[in-house]
Amino acid sequence: MAKVTVDGRTVEVPGTANVLEACRAAGVDVPHFCYHPRLSIVGQCRMCMVEIEGVPKIQASCTVPVRDGMVVLASSEKALSARNATMEFLLINHPLDCPICDQAGECKLQDNAVAAGLPVSRTVEPRRQFPGYDRTDIGPHVIADMTRCIQCTRCIRFCNEISGTGELSLIERGGHAFVWTHEGKALDNEWSACAADVCPVGALTTKEFRFRKRVWWLDKAKSVCDGCEIGCNISIEHRDRTVYRFLPRVNLAVNDFWMCDYGRFRAEELNGNDFTRPILRAGGKARETHWGEALDAVKAAVDAAVAKDPASVLVLGSARLATEESWLLAQLFKGTVGASQVEFHPDLGPERKIKNPAVPGGWLVGREAAPNSRGAEAAGVARAGKGSALARLLDGSYTPEVLYVADAEFTSRVSDPKFVEALRRAKTLVVHGRRTNPLTEAADVLLPVASLAGKEGTFVNVLGLVQRFQLAIVPPPIVRTDLEVLLHLGKRWGVFDPQWTARAVFERMKGTVPGYAGLEWDSAALAGSDPSASPTSAYDVLLERRLSNPAEILASAAEARGARAAGGEK
Amino acid sequence: MSDFAPVLSARFGKKNSSALATYVADGGYESWKKVLAGSKTGEWTPAKVTDLVKASGLRGRGGAGFPTGMKWTFVPPKEKRGDKPVYLLCNADESEPGTFKDRILIEKDPHQILEGMMLASFALDVKHAYIYIRGEMVHGAEILNAAIDEAYAAGLLGTNVLGSGMALDLTVHRGGGAYICGEETALIESLEGKRGHPRIKPPFPAVSGVWNAPTVVNNVETLCCVKHILDRGADWFKGIGRNERNTGPKLYCVSGHVEKPGVYEAPMGIPFRDLLAMCGGMKGGRKVKAVIPGGSSAPMLTGDEMMDVPLDFDGVAAAKSMLGSAAIIVMDETTDIPKAVTNIAKFYAHESCGQCTPCREGTPWLHKMLKRIVAGQGKKADIEMLMQVAGQMGNGMTICVFADAAIAPILSAIPKFREEFEAYVAKSASPGFEQAAAAGITSEVAERTAEGMHS
Ligand SMILES: Cc1cc2nc3c(=O)[nH]c(=O)nc-3n(C[C@H](O)[C@H](O)[C@H](O)COP(=O)(O)O)c2cc1C
Ligand code: SF4
Ligand code: SF4
Ligand code: SF4
Ligand code: FES
Repeated sequence: MAKVTVDGRTVEVPGTANVLEACRAAGVDVPHFCYHPRLSIVGQCRMCMVEIEGVPKIQASCTVPVRDGMVVLASSEKALSARNATMEFLLINHPLDCPICDQAGECKLQDNAVAAGLPVSRTVEPRRQFPGYDRTDIGPHVIADMTRCIQCTRCIRFCNEISGTGELSLIERGGHAFVWTHEGKALDNEWSACAADVCPVGALTTKEFRFRKRVWWLDKAKSVCDGCEIGCNISIEHRDRTVYRFLPRVNLAVNDFWMCDYGRFRAEELNGNDFTRPILRAGGKARETHWGEALDAVKAAVDAAVAKDPASVLVLGSARLATEESWLLAQLFKGTVGASQVEFHPDLGPERKIKNPAVPGGWLVGREAAPNSRGAEAAGVARAGKGSALARLLDGSYTPEVLYVADAEFTSRVSDPKFVEALRRAKTLVVHGRRTNPLTEAADVLLPVASLAGKEGTFVNVLGLVQRFQLAIVPPPIVRTDLEVLLHLGKRWGVFDPQWTARAVFERMKGTVPGYAGLEWDSAALAGSDPSASPTSAYDVLLERRLSNPAEILASAAEARGARAAGGEK
Repeated sequence: MSDFAPVLSARFGKKNSSALATYVADGGYESWKKVLAGSKTGEWTPAKVTDLVKASGLRGRGGAGFPTGMKWTFVPPKEKRGDKPVYLLCNADESEPGTFKDRILIEKDPHQILEGMMLASFALDVKHAYIYIRGEMVHGAEILNAAIDEAYAAGLLGTNVLGSGMALDLTVHRGGGAYICGEETALIESLEGKRGHPRIKPPFPAVSGVWNAPTVVNNVETLCCVKHILDRGADWFKGIGRNERNTGPKLYCVSGHVEKPGVYEAPMGIPFRDLLAMCGGMKGGRKVKAVIPGGSSAPMLTGDEMMDVPLDFDGVAAAKSMLGSAAIIVMDETTDIPKAVTNIAKFYAHESCGQCTPCREGTPWLHKMLKRIVAGQGKKADIEMLMQVAGQMGNGMTICVFADAAIAPILSAIPKFREEFEAYVAKSASPGFEQAAAAGITSEVAERTAEGMHS
């Protein structure tokens, strides 16, 4: 540890920290572009200039390791005029097209210009152009506009050091230099949009979000990606009941600063419901109905089946349900109704990976395509394997009277008609659904439910961490959350109260569900930092000041650098 | 003075001067043989070679004039560096405008460079040394490679040099034609196969250089001097030159308006007046107006300031410029200084590696402003702005000193030749800032109006 005094405030920082990190630890906001906690130090933008006592020349604070007893003057006249100089240099060739730039509102150049820039321009020379390298696709998700690039090389370092795919490079030299993909190659890797995240300006933006919404209109909810069992912490960015994008939230234990493209671009899938009312289907004819009739029908079918044989009811939960929902499912059917077969089908998907220096091996790997198999199991829903009721149903040796499917997308196999045919052998098929698929088409009772954006609860990720996700947008009228459906159904047996919130269920279950004991809804269960805290996301400048855990991030950056140095890397 | 016999350039005029036979006939490789043989008896140790170089007072000829022996001692001792090898890089990137001494050393007498490198390698425990040669010097690279082939064939390089058991390999690496690759850490990056981007220092190359191993970078001429110090001793070397801090024979590259431009060898510290005389004086007997004494990166001096300056590190520094690569660019009274400065600014705008914002953006901006002034479209305020913009690029604002080099000509020429810049703006057709201000238009609007708003 080293004691460093910044503008009169003394802080203690790890010995491997640099002066920029010490300044931030001391609460002094030194603007910067090329520094990123997870990328190597290049000292190129020259924005983070400070004075250090005893050192005659002005210093780029990110390039100077701290020393015990160091005294930093981050706001001296000399430091401010050096930073003004860098801002002026950055702006003389910038197109200044904020009004038509999608980064406006979350652009570090704009923020720094507003905060510290000069009110007038001293240059009359024509600005640099990059014909042919503006507004051009460089990959499936990213669009590049080199007139706005400030050559901070963050994107290049992301591709070299994080994704390890090395698609980007500087072409040309000096004032003519620009970032592009290598000849004939595309910026195409599993995390390519993170390159746009780390870009401090509007030089790299994503096709999917570009021009869809001015960022200052977006509301944010802290959520968790449900694309795989890693459970990257995300910010659901929405407006007027529409989801516009996901951004990764920093969580050093889970997704670090990143998320994968697959997960990120599921964002707009959360919009829309194909079903606006419950549907009853009889004799091949479907009709919309109200919740009362639909849930009464479910209860009647279940009661009749249980009266004959409790084993004739099969309940399929899902690794996509929140733990609270799985718990209600298990409580209701196993406890109250007395039907013991409550299972979920593990959904193995393509492997997803997230680089994180805090986990052994450096990578988190997600093999299941659903976020919460661990939570389902903990809540009492059994993992369907060999000999399970589901396996017997599929091999034809078992035919339930009632099959209750609490998630129409519990596996990718639902798009296979053969698979659905097997499930359809049940006499009564009840399904929670949002999007039309072969399974919802086959349901006798279809219960319309909200997407991830329309509900709240907790997931248990691949590391066993309980992570809470918040409600982003209110679901359409009549559509209910899975939790509400189960509460209303449970009320018919006199056990649940529809007034319960996810939090109320959490409080009821936490004493008995493994891994939940002692957790608090408000704090512990909500991992990850503020969405606006991600140095890659909105309000970047405020950001790093608003980090809920800045010390942790700074320490981890310093630690990772120490490890790299010890490993002999440059 | 007259008793000075050329050392570094002694063989330049000979027939087949680059051949091994010519070199050996003059006693070449005797020091290498002596040291290798003595290393077995304990008569010669690496430390002894380093001490000799230290005692000679040799300072680097690449530009900064850093004491060579001291630089070598920065390499961590074996106990500290462990298994890491030490590399020696000969900096033959010579691209500083006005500089052409290394090129002639390479083309005329490559073996003295090789022998200097061998001796330095012995002192530094180097097993593999590289010559990084400027890309454009195709001919020089061929000559060096031929000389290296000869040296291998003669057993002077290889796995068991002259039966001593010592191994030494030498490789020529050609650059891609970027001035910045002469900066030692950019050279290292380039040698590693990356873009020639100078590194953040510390760590310095002696601690972590090429492939993260301790590395010594020395200029071609510096390494040649090492050979002669081993031949003739430290005292002899120290005896040449003006004082203890500025020693040895020196190659001066004289260009510009002199009768006979070229490479001249003289004792370190020769006064400019005497060097000028060696060159046959000024062309047509005209007057010296300005001199750049150390390559384009050195501040410009007026003829009057220059005349009695001793041409060594401390002598030129005392005159507020620098000896640099000893590229002496002489300009007579017919020279248009603003145009000369514009030309230099163009070079730096073209050669900035572009990493640092102030250098990447500042060098082309300075060039554009100068171009505008000499094209008759400048205004008086532009001269002050040039000084100001240049003034916010150096002194720690950038990773390497390229930016400091780029601004030196501007920051020195404007105060010394201000009336020439003012003459340009006085002729300017543009309405200019002052008239507009007088007409009551605010300064910013005035500037824009004056320029027809092309921004
Ligand atoms: C922009 C720049 C260009 C340089 N170009 C050269 C060069 O072409 N040749 C050279 O020997 N040194 C050059 N140098 C100096 C080297 O960085 C280094 O100091 C030198 O090679 C060390 O050798 P010496 O100690 O023998 O002088 C340059 C430095 C800078 C900043
Ligand atoms: S594209 Fe963006 S991230 Fe990449 S170098 Fe340019 S400004 Fe930096
Ligand atoms: S790795 Fe998994 S949790 Fe993370 S963004 Fe991708 S799909 Fe979502
Ligand atoms: S000062 Fe110029 S040449 Fe040197 S590293 Fe910075 S941009 Fe490159
Ligand atoms: S943030 Fe320090 S130089 Fe870019």
